[in-house]
Amino acid sequence: NSANVKKFTVSEGKHAKFRCFVTGKPKPEIIWKKDGAPLEAGRRHLLFEDREGYYTLKVMYCKHQDTGLYVCAASNALGHTLSSVYLTVKAPAVRFR
Amino acid sequence: EVEGAPGAPLDVKCQDANKDYVIVTWKQPAVDGGSSILGYFVDRCEVGTTHWSQCNDTPIKFARFPVTGLVEGRSYTFRVRAVNKSGMSRPSRVSEVVAAMDPADRARMRGTSAPWTGQIIVTEEEPAEGVVPGRPKELEVTEATKNYVVLSWKPPGERGHEGIMYYVEKCVSGTDSWQRVNTEIPVKSPRFALFDLAEGKAYSFRVRCCNSAGVGEPSEATEATTVGDKLDIPSAPGR
Repeated sequence: NSANVKKFTVSEGKHAKFRCFVTGKPKPEIIWKKDGAPLEAGRRHLLFEDREGYYTLKVMYCKHQDTGLYVCAASNALGHTLSSVYLTVKAPAVRFR
Repeated sequence: EVEGAPGAPLDVKCQDANKDYVIVTWKQPAVDGGSSILGYFVDRCEVGTTHWSQCNDTPIKFARFPVTGLVEGRSYTFRVRAVNKSGMSRPSRVSEVVAAMDPADRARMRGTSAPWTGQIIVTEEEPAEGVVPGRPKELEVTEATKNYVVLSWKPPGERGHEGIMYYVEKCVSGTDSWQRVNTEIPVKSPRFALFDLAEGKAYSFRVRCCNSAGVGEPSEATEATTVGDKLDIPSAPGR
């Protein structure tokens, strides 16, 4: 269904913040994925739950390779579900001299 | 919409849901479109997806159908379409959500709910310049037992503490491989309890700060602490 996935665009070099509200009891386990592969916390990927309770993924200093399908997958004993968006990282506009 | 096709079926309900099947029932459409209804098609959709799949290959005569082939523990909604010789109706309204699980499991899960995720919202942020936090200070092991080790530290001094979170790392003594302990969610307070350490092994620990600008350099590592039931820490005053 990638055709009807919401699309967002950010500029190269900027941070992209993904926020997803999740409910469920017991508290679901959250996995962020890019193009099917799980994302781990690291120097360019921050994963946290923000003050308002949104699960947040922050991709720092976006590069062209960060373009792709991002999924927030939630699961607990009762089931699992996910939300997805497509991120495009666009190069900064070329300026003429 | 097909001329002469029936109206949409009504009142789609789920009965006797268990891990092997869900019985879907409905009421016939208010209008048959001028010719008698030949049967119905039942569609299912797993909650969290937008993909509807048809459950039966040939039209069902009766307004009742056991849907099989569900994945245990997952949640579904259903809808029904009616067909006559002119064609297919619009789909009915969707049923309530039902989980493919046995009643005993469902009872045990009462007061619980399957996960739901909202639309992901993406925003672009300007990288803030040079505000990656510094090293945490005064990291120490405040308790060490065979079941857990407690660490505490002080936030880095040179910058504001707003939005600072911590990553704890461990390293088996004698190796140089640091492993992040809290991979899921950063710690917000300047202390942390570690479980699942191997008894008898010695570990060093260190902590990094992170904020919206990034992850900082690690603190000084602790002395190697052996996991065992000796509360030899905190050490004597005057150390």
